[in-house]
Amino acid sequence: MLPGVGSRPRIGAAPPPQGGILARLRGTALVLPGIAWLALFFVVPLGFIFIVSLGQRDALDRVDLSQPSLDNYARAFNPVFLPTFLNSIRYAAITTILSLALGYPIAYWISRYGGSRKALLLILVMLPFWTSYLIRTYSWMIILRDNGVLNSLLQAVGLTREPLILMNTDVSVILGMTYGFLPFAILPLFVSIDRLDANLLAAGRDLYASGRAVFLHVTLPLTMPGVIAAALLTFIPAIGDFVTPDLLGGPQTTTIAKNIQELFLSGRDWPYGAALGFLLMVVTLGGTLVALRTLRREVIGS
Amino acid sequence: MSKRYDGSSIDLEKALTRYLVERRISRRDLLERIARVGSAAALAPVIAACTSTSAPSAAATPGASAAPQATTGASATLTPTIGPVQPVPEAELFIYNWTDYLADEVIESFEAKYGTKVTQSFFSNTEEAYAKLGDDGGGYDLSFPTSVDIPSFIERGAIVKLDRSLIPNIVNLGVEWADPGYDPGNAYSIPYMWWTTGVGYDTVKIPEELTSSKALWDPRWAQHISMLDEFQEVFGLTLIQLGYSANTPLLNELDEALALLKEQKPLVRVYSTDTIATMTSGDVWIGHIWGADRFAIQETNPDVAYYIPEEGGVKGSDTVAVFSGAPHPIAAQLFVNHLLDAQNSAANTNLIYYMGPNAAAREFIDPAILEDPTINPDQKIVDALEELLNLDAALRDEYLKRWQELRA
Repeated sequence: MLPGVGSRPRIGAAPPPQGGILARLRGTALVLPGIAWLALFFVVPLGFIFIVSLGQRDALDRVDLSQPSLDNYARAFNPVFLPTFLNSIRYAAITTILSLALGYPIAYWISRYGGSRKALLLILVMLPFWTSYLIRTYSWMIILRDNGVLNSLLQAVGLTREPLILMNTDVSVILGMTYGFLPFAILPLFVSIDRLDANLLAAGRDLYASGRAVFLHVTLPLTMPGVIAAALLTFIPAIGDFVTPDLLGGPQTTTIAKNIQELFLSGRDWPYGAALGFLLMVVTLGGTLVALRTLRREVIGS
Repeated sequence: MSKRYDGSSIDLEKALTRYLVERRISRRDLLERIARVGSAAALAPVIAACTSTSAPSAAATPGASAAPQATTGASATLTPTIGPVQPVPEAELFIYNWTDYLADEVIESFEAKYGTKVTQSFFSNTEEAYAKLGDDGGGYDLSFPTSVDIPSFIERGAIVKLDRSLIPNIVNLGVEWADPGYDPGNAYSIPYMWWTTGVGYDTVKIPEELTSSKALWDPRWAQHISMLDEFQEVFGLTLIQLGYSANTPLLNELDEALALLKEQKPLVRVYSTDTIATMTSGDVWIGHIWGADRFAIQETNPDVAYYIPEEGGVKGSDTVAVFSGAPHPIAAQLFVNHLLDAQNSAANTNLIYYMGPNAAAREFIDPAILEDPTINPDQKIVDALEELLNLDAALRDEYLKRWQELRA
């Protein structure tokens, strides 16, 4: 299920596969189904989106591709989408930071102190996935609403008199998103922390480094690939998350994903929605690549 | 994919579809159902199944002849023929419908009468349904499009002209429904049910009698006001309050409505179509809701009252139409006829609390429904209600642009 669970491989890349052409061919053959899958279910739909984005909507709201143009992209650069785009970035960024801050200690603890129960603890991390995300999000509503679990508790112990307005705010959206994406952060963090050779930490201590210094100069840099993977796995889906802000959010929490959904459904303007969606993807991808390169240069060195 | 579920999961699937997405009808609490079915873990596969319920596998030939022909194939000969001159209904019928929009007994009596097996699939919003129905029905025989969308379906050749000889019960329609603007003479569609959009409020939290839609702008209920997450509904209510048409093509009137909505926004707790969830959460005291949703709301919170704003309100109606690619056109049209039967129409109204256009059905409708002015308003009020139209693309863009500006 997870690489590295229960085993502790040494740091460093796996040795290149040995053998002749035949073995290499066999390796390629193994990868083919995956490539075919991605091509069929990722590249082809993406191509469709791009093609649709070049079209126009006809009088019956169908997509008309007879005169392809980039007009929809010009329309998509519309200041009306800027606040919602910034909202999406803000939620994704805060969610990522919180997921890393909460996830790292958990992953560290499971890896270092989990002992024989590591697998069980990891299953617990993944346990929420056994229930539909929608059900879990609706549960947050029950917890956060004015007469919900949390407010009742606060009032019962006398901390508040009037209910705090938690639902339909930034707080509920960020809480819901962080809750939803936390496992995506913990798993890659765990893998990278678990692969860390304990002897390196011991060596650091032998050289009179404090616990904090060992963490900052040994543990953190060596687990940085895991941190980056966790950040990507959280940030990218979070930027496109539509369900959580829609269900837990309020008037001020509209995201760009919601705008895109509205263009497709309420607006029935598929080409326009496709252009905005494609643009969002390019911006996210471009931003991520730049951030990755900068991070790799600064953190990992090389 | 045509999976079968046992009763409880069909029940649950319906409840979930209804509970999780935009719905207009719901009567029981989801959590209660979950408790009944068992562990929450059991939900995941149900939801997966829910979202993948697709058209029945029967091959629908695109661009099939619009004129329904009696296809008396091998399967049809197996069904008993009723009467000497009756056309032979096919052995199956595929219906694509809102959840809980048809009484079970109506389907059962149809199956018994014609020996046709009825299979229903469900959708939870029209956009999803229309995408799946496409230009020929996507393998379904029959669906329930909103009246304002009928012209577009006709123009695309998606629905067929109905064969009146199969639908004698059409005489049961009230006179005011005989010649609707969206489909003159009901040539392609038959009106099914109609509804209003108005205001619901918690009479305990707001202990006064409200009559105006301006109550949704009252700062005393700040942070406890909800509006529908549907731009035409929200603009419609606001435009009517300003004394304009709910479908105004005049941009200055639209801008005026936008300004009013921007004033309201800081008071609004949430824009949501899931009013059953918001109105029962305790967070929302007063909300812009679909009239029929209040029954579901009242099951959890009996203190919620509903009114049609005194300024006038929005009404809408659904139709039933047969699609051009219908694999079973005879059965489909016989089913339309079956729905127009007075007792069947009343059975549906008694289940879903929507008034139908069926004049003959009135004597079989639960008196409590007939006496409720919010379901069965006086003709004077009905006449003041305005139907939301299918705006042309350019105008819809103007509405949507302002809506997105409001929501940003």
